[in-house]
Amino acid sequence: MSDRGTLLAADNKNSTAAVSIKDLRKCFGPLQVLKGVSLEAREGEVISILGSSGSGKSTMLRCINMLEVPDSGEVRIGGEMFRLKKGRYKTETADRRQVDRLRQHIGMVFQSFNLWSHMTILENVIEAPVHVQKRNRAECIEEAEALLERVGIGDKRNAYPGHLSGGQQQRAAIARALAQRPKVMLFDEPTSALDPELVGEVLKVMRSLAEEGRTMLVVTHEMAFARDVSSRVVFLHKGVVEEEGHPAEVFQNPKSERFRQFLSNER
Amino acid sequence: MDIQFMWETFLILLTGVPLTLELAVTSIFAGGLFALVLSLLAVVGGPIGHGFTRGYVFVFRGSPLLVQMFLIYYGLGQFRPFLQDIGFWPILREPYWCAVIALTLNTAAYTSEIFRGGLQAVSVQQIEAARACGMSGPLLFRRIVLPIAIRHALPAYGNEVILMLKATALASVITIMEITGLAGKLIADSFRAFEVFIVAGAIYLAITFLVTRLMMIVEFWLSPHLHMRPPTLA
Repeated sequence: MSDRGTLLAADNKNSTAAVSIKDLRKCFGPLQVLKGVSLEAREGEVISILGSSGSGKSTMLRCINMLEVPDSGEVRIGGEMFRLKKGRYKTETADRRQVDRLRQHIGMVFQSFNLWSHMTILENVIEAPVHVQKRNRAECIEEAEALLERVGIGDKRNAYPGHLSGGQQQRAAIARALAQRPKVMLFDEPTSALDPELVGEVLKVMRSLAEEGRTMLVVTHEMAFARDVSSRVVFLHKGVVEEEGHPAEVFQNPKSERFRQFLSNER
Repeated sequence: MDIQFMWETFLILLTGVPLTLELAVTSIFAGGLFALVLSLLAVVGGPIGHGFTRGYVFVFRGSPLLVQMFLIYYGLGQFRPFLQDIGFWPILREPYWCAVIALTLNTAAYTSEIFRGGLQAVSVQQIEAARACGMSGPLLFRRIVLPIAIRHALPAYGNEVILMLKATALASVITIMEITGLAGKLIADSFRAFEVFIVAGAIYLAITFLVTRLMMIVEFWLSPHLHMRPPTLA
């Protein structure tokens, strides 16, 4: 681990991490996808998670909000640990209410947007605040309009997801996640399903979120974003963290041979 | 063709329309509720619920509605003492209720398959997005799964409604005087099968025309995300 990494790790012990995962393990059938991954994200940190396909990066991200339940390990959101129990065949979450409550603090942006097709963009954005968090509808609408304005699609509030371009849909999905007022934002390859000319508009929004100090974990193949925006880069390979550190450092002198290869392939 | 006779026939058959509609609406409504339970059992009821629905659908979809109606109306008469003991006889004695029960049980089998298809067509991604923001259980079902499933199921369901409407004609064979029952009686009196059935057919045609329009309006109203698409995607 680099000096800077050590420094960050030392800091972590004093303040509660926004997200903390410890020794995460996960198998899909005979395939061991995560082989003991640990990671901490302090508040305001932007962590880019890199890795070739099959490295376990998406699975790791999905374990943070229990869309995948890890076989073993710990996941904490703002210090509170997801309670897990041994089921008959696999590990399960122990308390559905706790899962639902913690998930409200985690905004998730998916590769294929996953907007609700039967609702307008505005309805998509206010759905969780109004129906899950039971906040005042009028206030939610006001806030949603501001969020849509912010991601640059204020004029699309009454359109349906099917009428929007991929880039617009992904920005709507980001607004939807932000409307939860989350403590952490998870991005699962948010630009991988987009045409190249639409990637920029989504990255711009993500960059602005990073600048305002949001805690973000981003699984991505966008090297420029990882290098310029993130405060830390994590490289996963075959279910373990191969390299971790400040982007300036790890991109300049990658310590792991795998990461060096990965970088040369990506460029 | 005797226009005067057809007009008189029309006026007589028209008196059967309320009963036809009553049979159809009652059985479609009751069958729809039953179907919702069956399809939920099939999707989330585990192996037992799934097996029950499969067996039910197999039996009621696999045998003719007419046979089911005969079984309930004539067949159950054999067990009259028992049915009297448990208090079902006052219902099963009435041909009207026998017809409603047969139609309901039959449409429930078909409709549950339609609903099951609708439920299973809801994309995993949209459900995942709902889970990720803290939805689960009944809230997830009510806000996301059901609305999407209904939209998927609606075109096929419209078909089932029309089939049911026409299936009520079978009730005439167990002495019910709805449109077809009245038509049969008129033919027995007049021996003019062609005119009478032409009029009867035209009345069914008019009703189904109205029903299809109604279904189109509901579909249009529920699916703005489909018909408001830009022309390039249409």
